[in-house]
Amino acid sequence: MADARIQIAPQVKRGDSFEVKIAIRHAMETGYRVDDVGKPIKRNVIRALVCKYNGTEALRVDMSSGFAANPLLQFWLVAGNSGEISFEWDDDAGTRYAERAAVTVAG
Amino acid sequence: MAPRPFSRLHRTACARPAFARLLATLALAALPAHADLLPAQISADSVPRPLTATPGDAAHGRALLLARENANCILCHAIPEARFSGNLAPPLDGVGARLSAAQLRLRVADNRQVHPSTIMPSYFRSEGLTGVAAQYRGKTVLTAQEVEDVVAYLQTLK
Amino acid sequence: MARGAAVSLAVARIGAALLAVACAVPATLAYAQSSTTRVIPLDQLKSGLAYTGEDVRALQADDFANPGMLWVERGEKIWNTPAGADGKSCASCHGDAKSSMKGVAARYPAIDAKSKQLLNIEARINASRSGDQKAPAFAPESEDMLAITAYVNMQSRGVPVGVSIDGAAREHFERGRAFYYTRRGQMNMSCATCHEQNFGKRLFAETISQGQPNDFPIYRLEWQTMGSLHRRLRACLYGVRAELLPVGSPELLDVELFLAWRAQGLKGEAPAVRR
Repeated sequence: MADARIQIAPQVKRGDSFEVKIAIRHAMETGYRVDDVGKPIKRNVIRALVCKYNGTEALRVDMSSGFAANPLLQFWLVAGNSGEISFEWDDDAGTRYAERAAVTVAG
Repeated sequence: MAPRPFSRLHRTACARPAFARLLATLALAALPAHADLLPAQISADSVPRPLTATPGDAAHGRALLLARENANCILCHAIPEARFSGNLAPPLDGVGARLSAAQLRLRVADNRQVHPSTIMPSYFRSEGLTGVAAQYRGKTVLTAQEVEDVVAYLQTLK
Repeated sequence: MARGAAVSLAVARIGAALLAVACAVPATLAYAQSSTTRVIPLDQLKSGLAYTGEDVRALQADDFANPGMLWVERGEKIWNTPAGADGKSCASCHGDAKSSMKGVAARYPAIDAKSKQLLNIEARINASRSGDQKAPAFAPESEDMLAITAYVNMQSRGVPVGVSIDGAAREHFERGRAFYYTRRGQMNMSCATCHEQNFGKRLFAETISQGQPNDFPIYRLEWQTMGSLHRRLRACLYGVRAELLPVGSPELLDVELFLAWRAQGLKGEAPAVRR
């Protein structure tokens, strides 16, 4: 439920670069912490995040315990065709996530 | 998600000669079980006699001032050499010249006896407090020896 | 002469005693009145934002970068999702939160008309959830509770805090006030020691704020997650080595009312970002 928010400009021009933002709700548990009774909290961080633009890999991020919780990624892509920006990621707990957003290219 | 505990810097272990430790143990055994200062120990605004037989260790005292647990003096006081410190309370630079060891001892142990409205915690007092967490109830923040160590360090700030 | 002096002294004593009796009632009233005089003047009230750095202020101001918005979005989904035996959502009765919830959180804690109890916004939401929706209550400090309060409280962004301390709320207010000014814990400090007498000064590298409640739930960078006002109060209790009162406990609820009264006029800021 609402594990991520994606932000892209409503319309972009072919050949122009445009900004893509994704904020992900994830504890990014480092594995170095203990709970209230001193028991170690198991590591659970996002392992890899892949962004595809119309099915072609555009960005791959190998994440680690050095990332803050609830990471925010911001990057630029060059507008080709209208279609879809999709994200997939998984974490140490083995949960797989996916989110997508439409991109409309003019010209 | 479990709350993130406060960062804990572990106190640097301080090696003491076994003989001194034995003396300290014997001295402690001779003291009453009551940990707080007794009225008889206080003279005007000072505690003239050391709380323990073992002289204070200034290096360990300095470590206590800097440690983020227990004494944590730099939370409020600036001391020379500490890169960061709070400014809720006066800087301690020169405090060893302004106050004697006996005066420092009472101020560290129970500053309320000198300044009744002070916001400074009493580091060697366990009574007269409200709503103390179970694990600290009936205990002083610093041990008698630690008070001596802190006083020894403060005396060097001249 | 000596006798006369003794008599006049006795008269003076009786007079003083009478005066004390005479003053007792007005003095109580005077105390009651003075306790509702603003502690910090309205034009000097500052939310915790004023005591953060530029980076934190920028993070809060950006509705995409503000991590609290992840909880707000989750809260919006909860608002619109049917739950419980009757299949009702919050929206079934309250419609669009943007209008129906505007300014609501700014009036809490408040005495609940039905139960006559003092409820904060969390307790009020749970009262609807178990009473009207017949759904399980949200656990204190759970992700869902933080999400729904982030969503509801956001609808009071920009709305001045304004709670009632009249009627049944008054005794809660007085208890909260007493708690606020009582030094406690092994470190022997009251809330006022730092947040009233010393705001603007530093504890180590942290600037002490006025301890205002207008911005909760907050995304606290130290926590790396969202947390309620009660969680924040517990962090202070932990710091002064005082007994940790549970989230939602009557004592913390009373303090919450006192804090909200103390913050009256300060505009809502949820979901805020703090160090």
